[in-house]
Amino acid sequence: MAGGMAADDARYPVITGMGIVAAPGFGMEAVWGAMQKGESGLRPLSLFESPRYGQVLAGEVRRDLTELGAPLRGSRSDRLGWLAAKQAIDSSKIDLRVCGDRTGLLLGTSVGGSFDSERFLTTLIKQRKMRVRPTRFHECASAIEIIADDFGLYGPSMAIATACSSSALAIATAADLIMTGEADVMLAGGADSLSRMTWGGFHSLLLVDSAGCRPFDANRAGMSLGEGAAILVIEAEEIARKRGASILARLTGWGASCDAYHATAPHPQGAGAAAAMQSALRRAGLEPKAIDYVNAHGTGTRDNDVAEASALKSTFGERVPPVSSTKRFFGHSLAASGAIEAVVCIEALRCGQLPPNIGFTTTDPAIGFEPVKKMKHASLSHVMSNSFGFGGNNAVLIFSQPESPASTRPVRPTPVAVTGIGVIGPGTVTNREIEPPLPPGTVLAHSCGNLAGAESLSPNQRRRLNRMVQMALLAARGSHAANPAQRVAIAMGTGMGCLEEGAAFIENLISKDEREPMPARFPGSVHNAPAAQIAIDQQARGLNSAPTMGELSFECALWQAISQLWSGEADCALAGAVDELNKYPLSIGKRWGLWTEKTRPGEGAIAANLVPGENVKESLAKVTAVHFGRYPRPFDPTREVDWIASKVALETIDVVLSGAGGLSDLEPMYQSVISEFSKRAGKPLEHQTYKGLCGEFHAASAFGFSRALDLLRQGKRGILLYTLSVRGGRAACIIRM
Amino acid sequence: MDRTLDMSVSTNELKAKIIESLRLQDVTPEQIEDDAPLFGTGLGLDSIDALELVVMLEKHYGIVIKDIEEGRPAFRSVRTLAEFIEAKQAPK
Repeated sequence: MAGGMAADDARYPVITGMGIVAAPGFGMEAVWGAMQKGESGLRPLSLFESPRYGQVLAGEVRRDLTELGAPLRGSRSDRLGWLAAKQAIDSSKIDLRVCGDRTGLLLGTSVGGSFDSERFLTTLIKQRKMRVRPTRFHECASAIEIIADDFGLYGPSMAIATACSSSALAIATAADLIMTGEADVMLAGGADSLSRMTWGGFHSLLLVDSAGCRPFDANRAGMSLGEGAAILVIEAEEIARKRGASILARLTGWGASCDAYHATAPHPQGAGAAAAMQSALRRAGLEPKAIDYVNAHGTGTRDNDVAEASALKSTFGERVPPVSSTKRFFGHSLAASGAIEAVVCIEALRCGQLPPNIGFTTTDPAIGFEPVKKMKHASLSHVMSNSFGFGGNNAVLIFSQPESPASTRPVRPTPVAVTGIGVIGPGTVTNREIEPPLPPGTVLAHSCGNLAGAESLSPNQRRRLNRMVQMALLAARGSHAANPAQRVAIAMGTGMGCLEEGAAFIENLISKDEREPMPARFPGSVHNAPAAQIAIDQQARGLNSAPTMGELSFECALWQAISQLWSGEADCALAGAVDELNKYPLSIGKRWGLWTEKTRPGEGAIAANLVPGENVKESLAKVTAVHFGRYPRPFDPTREVDWIASKVALETIDVVLSGAGGLSDLEPMYQSVISEFSKRAGKPLEHQTYKGLCGEFHAASAFGFSRALDLLRQGKRGILLYTLSVRGGRAACIIRM
Repeated sequence: MDRTLDMSVSTNELKAKIIESLRLQDVTPEQIEDDAPLFGTGLGLDSIDALELVVMLEKHYGIVIKDIEEGRPAFRSVRTLAEFIEAKQAPK
């Protein structure tokens, strides 16, 4: 791999700072104080009106975020994340002015700006008024923009939206970025606010215990929802030691897996959960008996707790270490929960105390063990944190004492070959109607129409899976033949997620005041529904991720998929991206003037199959470098070409394939970089674009990738796929024959 | 086999409501047998379909189920579901 990707055994990830905002308190001290007293943060919901479930307990952050110092800009999730980031940066005493370009931000978030967009929808549906402002921060990636821009983080950054495992996966991916040398320092964690969507959604699944969750208890009757944010500062050990940082803990192990079983139900024996725990132990080079405490996912639903108990027993045998679920303190804060529990684990290590499983009274014979009931002292060397999400998405982290010897397996970057590509699209230009409750209108759009190959889907797939998931599934099938003997990782990026399904669910919830919900649509609305359904379709049990980073969603997925090949966690990896047309971006984009005669919205799904190795027989192309980060503002083309030149020898590039020809805000930026690039390379550069073919949408750079393969077939040798995002991201990907 | 049950809940109407609420494709009420299992084999329904049936029961029959365990025995077949609705609707 080109510059910056050399593995270095001294680059073990260590934790040097942390921040937390959650129902039990603001900041680590307040949270730990509440935990020592055994005080639950659950109270009746007050954040929004819930006609049907208003008295149900929730883990709500009841402090005024502005008074706590949050910026006025951003969604509630973004602002919670900002507060946790501020605490984490302050506690690590790091000077970001010195290392901003080697520092990135990885955030797990699944709700994103839903809470704020719901205000827009409520006004639209109930008062027939278009007040679009709150939708500005709808995207999950908006938190990255708000936080990274404020604190000056220019390194690799993305959001990950894999429901309840999002932030554990974000922390794991941050560790991979540090181990590969792609970043020196990462802020990593998660942020999710309460929202009508998830509130109504989990109620529609009958998974909520109105009196508050009782994890692992024989009489448990469901989960409690919560909200919050937690962020860690993770550094390469050598960097932290050099600046004299105080090291709170090591991140020694991380592992991810997919049940490939069902959209919402966990595998009954917790097979995927056990695989993730074992993968984290292998990575850490630890035996199961080295683990002194497990912070369980322990949601309090009947199915989760019994499956997790079974996974714990299959991993640890007779001697299951002390276990507790801390969900009754916080509520289940979905994408933030993995990071919140990571922070709890690190504090447990530091204080030598086991956090209690409040809410538990009676042992369940189906579980067979009693969790930690009272906060108690213990000597802890290594602790494990479990996070499991919708789609059977599992992520496990292991934290260890700072002085414990580092035995984490290094990550070895190797060449990667593309052996197949599946493409749904580009659409044909048609006039698209904007439907109610939006004001009527039409927009010219590139639509994929009826999906080619949809007849190959099973009757249940056609009935249950929304169109966007079907697009992803068909693209994935087109990229390779599933081989159950292989360990397959999947990273399917998306900028906006399944908007059609999500909008149908929330419109119904608001217009009917939570009556007659649509339970089948809720699990289909999560960003990781495409990745999870591909896994079920292909029985792919490796990492399963849904990176979301606006126009760079594909490149982020590509990096994450390739990192699984480097770490030896997968034999092959599927990288792709998908986004669909939807009336809301059409209508709001029209109002904001995004859609013009030249810039038309589009949709599509692309998946590429990747395998490790230098001389792969069926190779269509080699991906020799993938880099993503953020550009400092104001945008400077000279600095931009410096960044590209630091990753690749400019003279080896024949063609720059850019995302130009789409949104007008990005146009002058692309043109200035191309002209600066030509000057520096000392030859006129061939510049090609692809958005004229497929339209403008977040996953479009995946089309650029498929276009690059066409150009290689036509005899081009070195292609730079160069993408900018309006939210401040940039990516450079080198594709060669 | 489409025997008419001796009850006030029309099984044919119930079958039509099941097909509608679960968006079953290429299935007619006549193809669903009164005693055939709805879940697992048979129509191949899963836990999310059970939740859609919960919504259907509330919408059309005014029956509220708060714990899926309560509905589980009722969801075995069209006949058990019809009996469940009868019992719930009977004057107390």
